[in-house]
Amino acid sequence: MKLTRVSKDQFSLQLGGREKSLLLELLRLYPRVPSNYLAVSKMRNLPDSNTSQKLLDDALAEQRADNKRQLQALMDNPGRWSENQSGFQLALSATEIDWLLQVLNDIRIGSWLILGSPEERFEVVNPETAPHLWAMETAGLFQMYLLHALQSAG
Amino acid sequence: MPELLPGLEQEAVDKPRSGLEPGYLVICWNDPVNLMEFVTHVFQQVFGWPRPKAEFHMLQVHEQGKSVLIRESLEKAEHYVHQLQKYSLHATMERDS
Repeated sequence: MKLTRVSKDQFSLQLGGREKSLLLELLRLYPRVPSNYLAVSKMRNLPDSNTSQKLLDDALAEQRADNKRQLQALMDNPGRWSENQSGFQLALSATEIDWLLQVLNDIRIGSWLILGSPEERFEVVNPETAPHLWAMETAGLFQMYLLHALQSAG
Repeated sequence: MPELLPGLEQEAVDKPRSGLEPGYLVICWNDPVNLMEFVTHVFQQVFGWPRPKAEFHMLQVHEQGKSVLIRESLEKAEHYVHQLQKYSLHATMERDS
């Protein structure tokens, strides 16, 4: 994936055919972070921790539903992908790139949690762990591409 | 404040406590899986910080395990925690005792 053009908040990203397939396969894994993973407070010293937690859970559930709808639209809309000699062009706004980064990080964190939240580099690769390791590393790779695209646009 | 804060936050820290009561700290905790570039990006997006300030806090999270990002009222702290968690960052709010 590489940035080929930026104009008026529109980023054109070039992907090879295989890259596109990998990205779509990866995005199908969303969501991966369990809904009860994120707590509003560690010390639970808020005036009404239960209400605060419920507000957070509801907001994240709504966000997740929106993300799934938006993802489906991205994957199902052939108009978003224009084919050329080198593969495919994907046009995204800065807001959409930021959104895609959120989705990819959910997949990365969720895969890491499935692998047991390793502190160091994960090295136990076997048929059971390999798909999750692949998802974690591939999500990180696409995140870096997108972050570099945003940075190179200034 | 228990945490080292960068210069730009000094103003907020120096405000009279009465103007900030009850104070709630928004804290980001380290998850080793998060990419450093990504965390910097999120801090810029959520708080509108310039890159050096966002990097400062990202490094604090990375090296010290957590960073106090901001002290706010309950509602605003909740808002920031929601925003940070949208990106799956491990952020919480704690009462500033």
